[in-house]
Amino acid sequence: MNYFFSSRFSENQEVITIISIILGVLVFATLLFYALGRFYPIPKINELKQRTRSWWVMATLFILATVLHPMISFVAFGLLSFVAFRELTSISKNIRPEDRKAIFWCYLAIPVQYFLAYKGYYNLFTIFIPIIMFVWIPFVLVVRGETVEISRSMSILPTQLMFTVFSISHLAYLLSLPELQGFNAGGRGLLLYIVFLTEMNDVFQFTWGSLLGKRKIVATVSPNKTWEGFLGGMLTTVLVSYFIRFLTPFSITESLVTGLLIACTGFVGDVIVSAIKRDNGRKDTGTIIPGHGGILDRIDSLAISAPIFFYWVYNLYYAV
Amino acid sequence: MRTLGFFLLYKVIMRYFLSWIVGVKWINKEHLRGKGPIIFVSNHNSHLDTMAILAALPANQIPTTHPVAALDYFGNSRLKKKITRFLTNAILIDRNRDSNKQSPTNRMVNYLDRNHSIILFPEGSRGAPEQLQHFQKGIGALLDRRPDVAYIPIYMSGMGKVLPKGEKVLVPFVSYVIVGEPRKVKASGVEDIVSEVALAVKSLGDEFRSKNNLSAS
Repeated sequence: MNYFFSSRFSENQEVITIISIILGVLVFATLLFYALGRFYPIPKINELKQRTRSWWVMATLFILATVLHPMISFVAFGLLSFVAFRELTSISKNIRPEDRKAIFWCYLAIPVQYFLAYKGYYNLFTIFIPIIMFVWIPFVLVVRGETVEISRSMSILPTQLMFTVFSISHLAYLLSLPELQGFNAGGRGLLLYIVFLTEMNDVFQFTWGSLLGKRKIVATVSPNKTWEGFLGGMLTTVLVSYFIRFLTPFSITESLVTGLLIACTGFVGDVIVSAIKRDNGRKDTGTIIPGHGGILDRIDSLAISAPIFFYWVYNLYYAV
Repeated sequence: MRTLGFFLLYKVIMRYFLSWIVGVKWINKEHLRGKGPIIFVSNHNSHLDTMAILAALPANQIPTTHPVAALDYFGNSRLKKKITRFLTNAILIDRNRDSNKQSPTNRMVNYLDRNHSIILFPEGSRGAPEQLQHFQKGIGALLDRRPDVAYIPIYMSGMGKVLPKGEKVLVPFVSYVIVGEPRKVKASGVEDIVSEVALAVKSLGDEFRSKNNLSAS
């Protein structure tokens, strides 16, 4: 058993606290929607209940992937990237039959990227997809020899790889960060912090938008995104960020800025995936999570907030 | 022993390989629960098509379900023939029909009369990826002989991108296997039966695409 659990898990008070908070939020949401459905049924209550049920599953899987042995965490995040990349290439209408071999190389890049993250080879980790794969994929396409619409494939495939593999692998790299003196929660704390805050930001923006939403931000892309939802979500996220800063080495000001950063980048990721879905004529990217859609529908905000947060905290505390 | 082998191969290995790695999703799988004799009729894009149907069948039906395959493709070497027969219980028929053996329809009818099921890809060949081709007459001749046997139309989408004809590397793509309700043929006469079955398969695909707002592939 000791092999599976991280040795410092039981000593890590901060991690235990945040896990209790996550479970508390879920219990609260479950009871709230149960009570609402019982005494004051609102139109979308069944969808909300289904979403909460899916949140339970996702939270359990995420917590397990975080507190178990780091090896398990890296495999779990690698699988997450794999499924997300598969969803994205599968809904893309611009993929040509000739791109199959290049896509195969993209799949091979996933274990390599996570291996680099696991070993903590920082320099190689940061250039492997943005530089090496960025060159290699167009080259594979060129060797294949079909030039009709090749420039489109050359741009789509590296972008998809960046969005689903490069970005999400930063979550895993947080676990490889060296220990800092006087900062007990460690990379595991940072991981829980960014994922919890990004997902809560989605929920806050959705809630504020549903309650007060009027003025649409990008009506042609996503009619549910309103200024009221965005700003309300942002304020709540900044507030939560302040209260859970015990997971991070941040000062008070830094934690507030981080909250702001996560709210904005989360929103950006959300609308980017919405636009991609719209272009390909889909409502969801898949059917894997009941009530939410595909994996990509859930990690869209993370895909942008994770790398931004990573480099923010890395340059503040880990770069020497 | 063979049943156990089939169970392991299809219900454990193939099924999880297809759903977790390749990304195959079965829709209305419960229509496959019935007992043989059943004729499964599907469009054909990839070698995985047969696997996707077999992996979705109830375990006790797999040993008595026979995909119909071309002898000139799968039987052109003795080893290939053995492997195909051993792994899938395939009925290998000669597309060129110059041999004096029993007619393909007779052989299939014999299997149906023993309450075995048959998987038929009436397009004949996997063809260009993701394009529905004209259905061959075999399915009409078979249902004309045994109109009481139920058939299940199946429409597959996406598998032609995973492993199309002439490619060796398998690339995961989310694919769908849409299973229709079991039904008995209404038309009579070989040609009419063929067009009825072809329409049943095609409309499964059209219905799926319109429900999910997809343009025709």
